[in-house]
Amino acid sequence: MPLQTLKRETADELVLEWVILIKNYRLILDKKRCVGCQICSLVCPKEAITTARQPVPQGEKALKPRVDIDVSKCNFCGACDILCPYGAINVTVDGKHLLPAVEKGSFPQIVRDIKIDSKKFPLIQIKNEDACPLGLISLHLSSPPEQSADNLEVLKEPEKSEASITVEVDSQHCPCCGYCEEKFPAGTINMGRLFEGKIAINGEKCPEGCTICMDVCPITEVLNLQNEDKKVYVNDKFCVYCGACKIACPVDEALLLKRTRVNHTVVRSGAWNKALERLTSATDMAKELKAKGSTRTRESVKKRIGLKEEKNV
Amino acid sequence: MSKGTARKRSALRKERTTSTKKALIQKEEPRVGVFICQCGSKISSVVDVAALTDYAKNLPGVAYVESMDYPCSRQGQDGIADAIKKKKLERIVVAGCSPRLYEPTFQSCLSKTELNPWLFEMANIREFASYCHQNAPEEATEKAKDLVKMAVAKAKLLEPLKPLHLPMTKKVMVIGGGIAGINAALDLADMGFKVYLVEKSETIGGYMALLDKTFPTLDCSICIEGPKMVDVGRHPNIEIISYADVMKVDGHVGSFRVKIRKNPRYVIAANCTGCGECRDACPIEYPNYADMYLGVRKAISIPFGQAVPLTHTINRDYCIECYKCVDACGAREAIDFDQKPEEIDVTVGAIVVTVGYGMYNPTDLQWTGYGKFSNVFTALEFERLILAAGPTGGKVIRASDGQKPHSVAFIQCVGSRDINKFEYCSSFCCMYTLKHAVMLKEKYREAIEVYVFYNDMRSNFKGYEEFFNRAQKSGVKFLRVKLENRRILENPKTKNLTVFGENEDGEQVTAETEMVVLANAAVPSESASELAKILNIPLGKDGFFVECQSKIRPTDTEVPGIFLAGACQGLKDIPYSVAQGSAAAAQAASVLSKNSWVVEPIIAKVDEDLCSGCKICESACGYQAISVVKTGEKSTARVDEGLCRGCGICSSACPMDAITMPNYSDIQIVAQIQAVAKRKLKKQ
Repeated sequence: MPLQTLKRETADELVLEWVILIKNYRLILDKKRCVGCQICSLVCPKEAITTARQPVPQGEKALKPRVDIDVSKCNFCGACDILCPYGAINVTVDGKHLLPAVEKGSFPQIVRDIKIDSKKFPLIQIKNEDACPLGLISLHLSSPPEQSADNLEVLKEPEKSEASITVEVDSQHCPCCGYCEEKFPAGTINMGRLFEGKIAINGEKCPEGCTICMDVCPITEVLNLQNEDKKVYVNDKFCVYCGACKIACPVDEALLLKRTRVNHTVVRSGAWNKALERLTSATDMAKELKAKGSTRTRESVKKRIGLKEEKNV
Repeated sequence: MSKGTARKRSALRKERTTSTKKALIQKEEPRVGVFICQCGSKISSVVDVAALTDYAKNLPGVAYVESMDYPCSRQGQDGIADAIKKKKLERIVVAGCSPRLYEPTFQSCLSKTELNPWLFEMANIREFASYCHQNAPEEATEKAKDLVKMAVAKAKLLEPLKPLHLPMTKKVMVIGGGIAGINAALDLADMGFKVYLVEKSETIGGYMALLDKTFPTLDCSICIEGPKMVDVGRHPNIEIISYADVMKVDGHVGSFRVKIRKNPRYVIAANCTGCGECRDACPIEYPNYADMYLGVRKAISIPFGQAVPLTHTINRDYCIECYKCVDACGAREAIDFDQKPEEIDVTVGAIVVTVGYGMYNPTDLQWTGYGKFSNVFTALEFERLILAAGPTGGKVIRASDGQKPHSVAFIQCVGSRDINKFEYCSSFCCMYTLKHAVMLKEKYREAIEVYVFYNDMRSNFKGYEEFFNRAQKSGVKFLRVKLENRRILENPKTKNLTVFGENEDGEQVTAETEMVVLANAAVPSESASELAKILNIPLGKDGFFVECQSKIRPTDTEVPGIFLAGACQGLKDIPYSVAQGSAAAAQAASVLSKNSWVVEPIIAKVDEDLCSGCKICESACGYQAISVVKTGEKSTARVDEGLCRGCGICSSACPMDAITMPNYSDIQIVAQIQAVAKRKLKKQ
């Protein structure tokens, strides 16, 4: 039984596997959930993942950037799994989603701070797609039981006044865009962002009538085409700062995107520092380190990035 | 080069030729003694020795001729020495067998007299006359006459020479830390020589360290080898240079200059205590070669528990640089991510090559199903399965379902004894298969069926045939099949395997089993071909190093001071490798114990005035013995006396006639040719 490093790809998924007699390492990329945002490529310590812009098919919506993983470089550390904002990558060891890189503190966990107050939920009729651009929210009528929340109009009094709703968010795959916060009454759903950052479009460079960035952005209402000048304008309220638009944008510097902070659990790890540097910038990474007060690590970073850090901080 | 210099050089050339001629052709012809050997009857039964003796007597310059039964015998040598004294002989010709065999004998005979040992010439009238012209005695005699005439013509022009002495470095390098290298290193170190043991991988031990048991005694392999490995690690005379490659070897016996590259482990060996705390902190695992990739190891780890040196290594191909190991190591500060490859130069007097072997990956032998059917294993994989410290904790399990198999088939000669793959027999597979079969059968008894599909069972050393009998008695089923038309098929549902073979009568032999183990061929070590180039020692057609003489010099190479031991010379089992390791150590010690290495003075001589520095000799030399170096204003060829083997190719290649071979100069060779060709021309 020789060592087998397998890679197979279907329309829906990309699967990498190490078949070792006593252990099985597997990475599954869910192509439906993947938006091609490059976060995985940035955090991969082995630089095994590439995200590439795809040619725009004639007369159709632009395709999201394509993610490919080099099976000869991947070591199944799970960094991509941990940091994918859309939960599109799943790394398992012997079928279990237990990642040693998190357990040993080599990588932090991304914090999905989602608070739902079901008590405050009014009895409103809302479609899953309308509440969440990714369709991750499901509403259940908790009482009366065995009734669907799809059609509340059929409810009659007195059930109607006593009826209550349970809201569930598929948090594993949620990029925390905050769209739902707006769609539901204030205070019912609260969420912290995964990334903080800046996004802007340089109107001078943005080509007229081009909607590629809009095509690839998975979140509604972030990028919008203005009728007057046929250019794209940004509403960064719901922006995840995932960067799919930036990868897809065909013009250099037309779309500017920068992440400044990642919401994550605390770790002390060189691999994470490097990933953070690539996700944000050397300056932002150094800021975080400073905040942590971890002098030793900061010194090692200083050594690595040299004078650049001195200048920026 | 300007025309003027060319002209000057050409004039110089003429002058040199005449002056050498003058020096060699003395006014008074030297007195030549010819001794004709009858070699029992091996010469005299074909060549008319009496006629040859008469003929020799009449040759110009010959002062004395004697026909002897065996000049090489003690009486013969005494006779020659006596004649030299009594007949005042100044040159000696022995007409007998090959100088390759007996020239040293006669030279040592001459050295006991007043004559210089190089005033000696041999005419090979045995191989060149009596042996090859057995059915034409008259012609054989004529040829023998010519050969003697030529030898006499040359003998008259011979010069006295002095042997060269090369300095001896009392250190030795052993390349390869398998069981053969370990034994060679320990023996040499115990004899008091400083030993550098260079090992390519992280630990010494070689394949033996990966085995469970050894045949035919079923001793635990690492329990025997482990203490020896520790002894090597602790020996004050041994320096292990592990995780290192030999990059370049210059020089010659007595002073080989070796350049070694130590690959970075990213762990400072001196600070690493081998505690393994870094290993526990490391989050990353990768397939372990020492487990034949059936198990995993951490990105910072040792390949197996008994590793020597017990220094951890970071595999940067897998490491994610989280520096958890740095934290775990703490104050010991053994981890250094900035480590660079390090080059070291050492000078040694002798080298023992023990680089072992590799294993053939039978994926391309489609009939085996290896790589396609999950329950087909190679023998070394099975070894790791059955080993208690192995990845499964000693449980023999199927890859398809993790269950213990109820039947196992062993297939012999996979790749070996196959004209299209490896023609040779891999020598130890029969015995390790018997070992595996006996271990399975004696452990599980009736709960397991064991089949061995073999063609010939080779159990030809001490205790091996008895072990074969033990296997047969234990209930192992031996099925003799031809090597052609073997097949393995898998049942896609049960993942069981059916083995098909054909017996001598062409009848089908078959067995359905739950696991198949292939005795895949052993092949030359991956580093052998590169090392052959570096050391300038030949590789055989099969890819293994070639010994100098297979019967009587099995551990010598053609390069003085370089010795072979273990499977790199030809596949062999542990006891034989151990014995050969010690043999090579003894050979190396016999070189190292000398105060200087004596070289025969038949070595190219460069006339620096004639040499134009064209480098033609440099490319012609097969031993890298001659190179053009800058000496003052001009560049001239320089000969490394230790490397030059006196083949003369540089001399014939030199367009300036600037290189001469002592006693093989143009004048001496032309004299030989003239001696025989003049007569032939006259006849025509």
